[in-house]
Amino acid sequence: MKPSAESKRNLTEGGGVPQAVSSRKQKKEEKARRKQEKYYTASQWQLMWRKLLKHKLAMASAVVLIVLYLGAAFAPFIAPQGLEDYSSSASNMPPTQLHFVHDGEFIGPFIYRYDVERDEMRNKVFVEDTSQPYPLKFFVHGIPYKLFGVFESDLHLYGVDNTNLPEGQEPLQFMPFGADQLGRDLFSRIIIGSQVSLTVPLLGTLISFVLALIIGGISGYYGGWIDTVIQRIVEVLSSFPTLPLWMALSAAIPAGIPVVQVYIWITLIMSLMGWTGLSRTVRSQFLALKKEDYVTAARLAGVSDMKIIIKHLVPGFMSYLIVNLTLGIPNMILGETSMSFLGLGMRAPATSWGVLLQECQNVSNIANCPWKLIPLIFVAISILAFNFLGDGLRDAADPYK
Amino acid sequence: MEEQKQAILSVENLKISIRMEEGVLTPVRGVSFQIREGETMGLVGESGCGKSLTSKAILGINTANCKTEGTITFSIDGHSQDLLKLKHNGAEIRKIRGKDISMIFQEPMTSFSPLFTVGSQIAEAVRIHTGKNKQEARELVIDTMKKVGISNPEKRFDQYPHEFSGGMLQRSLIAMALVCNPRLLIADEPTTALDVTIQAQILELMNQLKKDYGMSILYITHDLGTVAQMCDWVAVMYLGKIVEYASVQEIFKNPLHPYTRGLMGSVHKIGSGGGRLFSIEGTVPVAMNLPDRCGFYDRCSRREGVCGGTDPVMREVLPNHWAACWCAEEKEGCPNV
Amino acid sequence: MSENILKVEGLSKVFRSKKTEIKAVNNVSFSVKQGETVGIVGESGCGKTTLGRCIVCAHPASAGKMLYRAEDGNEYDLASLDKKTMRKLRKEIQMVFQDPFSSLDPRMAVYDIISEPLKANFPKMPREEMENRVKEMAQKVGLNPSYLKRYPHAFSGGQRQRIGIARALVLYPRVIICDEAVSALDVSVQAQVVNLLKDLQRDMNLTYLFISHDLSVVEHISDKVGVMYLGQMVEYAETDSLFRNPLHPYTEALLSAVPVADPDVKNIRIPLEGEIPNPANPPSGCFFHTRCKYCTERCGKEPAPLRELEPGHFAACHRAEELRLSGVARLDENEERA
Repeated sequence: MKPSAESKRNLTEGGGVPQAVSSRKQKKEEKARRKQEKYYTASQWQLMWRKLLKHKLAMASAVVLIVLYLGAAFAPFIAPQGLEDYSSSASNMPPTQLHFVHDGEFIGPFIYRYDVERDEMRNKVFVEDTSQPYPLKFFVHGIPYKLFGVFESDLHLYGVDNTNLPEGQEPLQFMPFGADQLGRDLFSRIIIGSQVSLTVPLLGTLISFVLALIIGGISGYYGGWIDTVIQRIVEVLSSFPTLPLWMALSAAIPAGIPVVQVYIWITLIMSLMGWTGLSRTVRSQFLALKKEDYVTAARLAGVSDMKIIIKHLVPGFMSYLIVNLTLGIPNMILGETSMSFLGLGMRAPATSWGVLLQECQNVSNIANCPWKLIPLIFVAISILAFNFLGDGLRDAADPYK
Repeated sequence: MEEQKQAILSVENLKISIRMEEGVLTPVRGVSFQIREGETMGLVGESGCGKSLTSKAILGINTANCKTEGTITFSIDGHSQDLLKLKHNGAEIRKIRGKDISMIFQEPMTSFSPLFTVGSQIAEAVRIHTGKNKQEARELVIDTMKKVGISNPEKRFDQYPHEFSGGMLQRSLIAMALVCNPRLLIADEPTTALDVTIQAQILELMNQLKKDYGMSILYITHDLGTVAQMCDWVAVMYLGKIVEYASVQEIFKNPLHPYTRGLMGSVHKIGSGGGRLFSIEGTVPVAMNLPDRCGFYDRCSRREGVCGGTDPVMREVLPNHWAACWCAEEKEGCPNV
Repeated sequence: MSENILKVEGLSKVFRSKKTEIKAVNNVSFSVKQGETVGIVGESGCGKTTLGRCIVCAHPASAGKMLYRAEDGNEYDLASLDKKTMRKLRKEIQMVFQDPFSSLDPRMAVYDIISEPLKANFPKMPREEMENRVKEMAQKVGLNPSYLKRYPHAFSGGQRQRIGIARALVLYPRVIICDEAVSALDVSVQAQVVNLLKDLQRDMNLTYLFISHDLSVVEHISDKVGVMYLGQMVEYAETDSLFRNPLHPYTEALLSAVPVADPDVKNIRIPLEGEIPNPANPPSGCFFHTRCKYCTERCGKEPAPLRELEPGHFAACHRAEELRLSGVARLDENEERA
């Protein structure tokens, strides 16, 4: 054998002798080869994305979340009622019945008007007046609003055609989830409330993410006494029971400040509580990755510390961090909901899912109007969706397994 | 003379496939071999050749996504059964596992739970399989620990794994494997994680115990050096198939398959100075969508036209020496070994 | 043949924790000539890896000198370098790691991995030049340049190790520390990489410090070999002299433990009693005396320093002169491969 040539030969895979093969087979092989090459040149993020796409539950959850967040973004368009509208006659009205057939004839979706009567116990009872159908229409003009605070419009996703309404009657509303004590459409309020309930956790997580990255990074990179001090602070912070601390902090929110400020305050409180766990993740990942051979190799090659952090360490644990973030959001949703539920978060007239659930503090209220628990379903669905998505991300995060 | 001994284990046409996202992986593609009583059979190959999966299939401990076909006949005392027909993780296979067939793994450190003493973990195996009481089990374990060369076994029995060194833990693992007096011991790279001096001790111990206990050993390794010292028969695996099978003397003196020859040429023999090593070019292909031809075709230094056709089957090229190569009779183009 | 490129004198590295103090490297001295390969062998925990990491300045040395004759002709002590000189010398001393899987960042394409040292040291290098340099290196280590866009997960262990070697070579270093560089590879691939290292040494006039636990590979590749035990160098000599004619009982035991790939040669193993003592609490006198079958009373009391017993053959044993130790017989020339 020749000593020098053989090891220098390129490591081409399967440099086979040409054979008599049909062109179809060749094409098939070519396709397989290209697919393989695509896999080989895929970066970590691409691999992670591919794996996530295959995780059905995570993808379904992602769709659910996208729908929820789109709902929050276009809330005034989707919700027929504005934040401050109400109709006193609809107080505690159950979910409106949707009909399709009037007098034995299919006429599309419509509703009947409700008459308020009293039963023998003098409880309010809503009875349908089946004489006149009021059809449901899409893209109707209703109360004006500003989308994203910029675009003025009065177009709504759906509404009731009230043209046949007798004079002097309050316009009818289709309330798929019923109404609350003040006669406000629960569906509209859930959609509007989601603007708070779904964005506070997202923003809060984002802020704690930045905090965790900086503080955990400093702790993990420098080590020594800085690390010790930071770790002690983290320990002290995370040893407080969360709920009383939230309560104390939100009690410090001055009364009577504008809604926007309350929102910012709550977000800050949530993120101040949330960063401790994340910063520990960052620190431990820092410590683990610092020992990897490729980091040593970079150091030996003369790469500066800052570059090593940015190019090797941070990308190294980013995927883990994103998983942790996603799995941390449900806690924040719960936190915001419980704070508002206890009357410590958002306050009327602003609304969130927690505020809506406040009405459920009264047992007889639940007994008589069980539909008031519907916001709970939204809380549960969003939490589950985040958890499933986080699960899928976790499975996808290590694409090399 | 070898023929007279009874086969304790015979594997027939074992195939394992794993469904993956990219396609179906076929790491074991039709493996057949026999292990006779009191003999050591070496299964040699590089990583990814399917040797570990083969051994795990015998005990039925491959993961659930592995699809296993073929037969694995295990016969002791005139009673034989097909291990693959037994229910996965059912009572029957569990009775065989650890009692009649036991296994030692590569990593002694991760084979013991750090939460329990080493002795109690070995004793557990005894009590499950023999129904001995605690005191009897303890005595048996201490006795076995003494046999595998653990000094002061009474004290060692009550120590935790972290108090043991790697070599001692591997001895303990062997004690655990031997304590129920198995008929077949599967040793999957038992010394790869150990230092040379410790490796020598462990191999010597295994050879000694084989004589004492009269058991058969399936020795799985990539290291030809230890094979020469340990085995009676050797099967060389490449890409999920056995490509050569012969007695240890025969295979080292007269290797027929180009892969075996290449493998032997690649190993530096101590004492041979600093010449240039032979190396098999290229890398082991991924066992997916393989063409129907000799698996070694792309890397073979003496391939011919006939090699591009169908996959060669194992044939007895010389008496008691099987090889799966179309041109096993010629040695042109192969490294001299 | 040529002058010393590296001279290690009395090098020690101590790891301290609150309670214990471990001398991972204990007063080690040896010298390396330019263009040669020095093998360092020993069992796990003997300090060979720490020694390598001290030389590449990944660990600061606790005591001793590492005199390195740089390309500019000056001699520097690697143990006491200021930052600027360190940056300069880093380019000349590089390392190849053991684990081909953890030594490459899975998030970087091969091109970025190989070009990283260039970017760090020559930030102003034009792109084209850098590309050519990376391609040249890829070719040198036997890697198809069209693979440079791929990520490490596309490669097998041997190919990854080639990438690691290319990264170490891209700065045109003079000394390469190979820390178990082939231990994690399969035998056939091991042979490929060993041959590659030899070719590169010849082409680029490299000096290797080849750290390994595998005596056969070390014998194959090294010109000189040092044997380490518990942080100390117990024997240092030309490869042939050390393997044929060991002067330290530990070397003898180590050599006898290597399994021979020949069923007819039954190893006559020199049993090594017991296990390596705890490095935090090494034995008195000669560190090896607890496991040595030639041990006398003196060995337990007096430490055994490394002495030059034959020209170029150093050993640390009190009884080296009187003992007749057996090494590995040179295999018959006829049996050697063509």
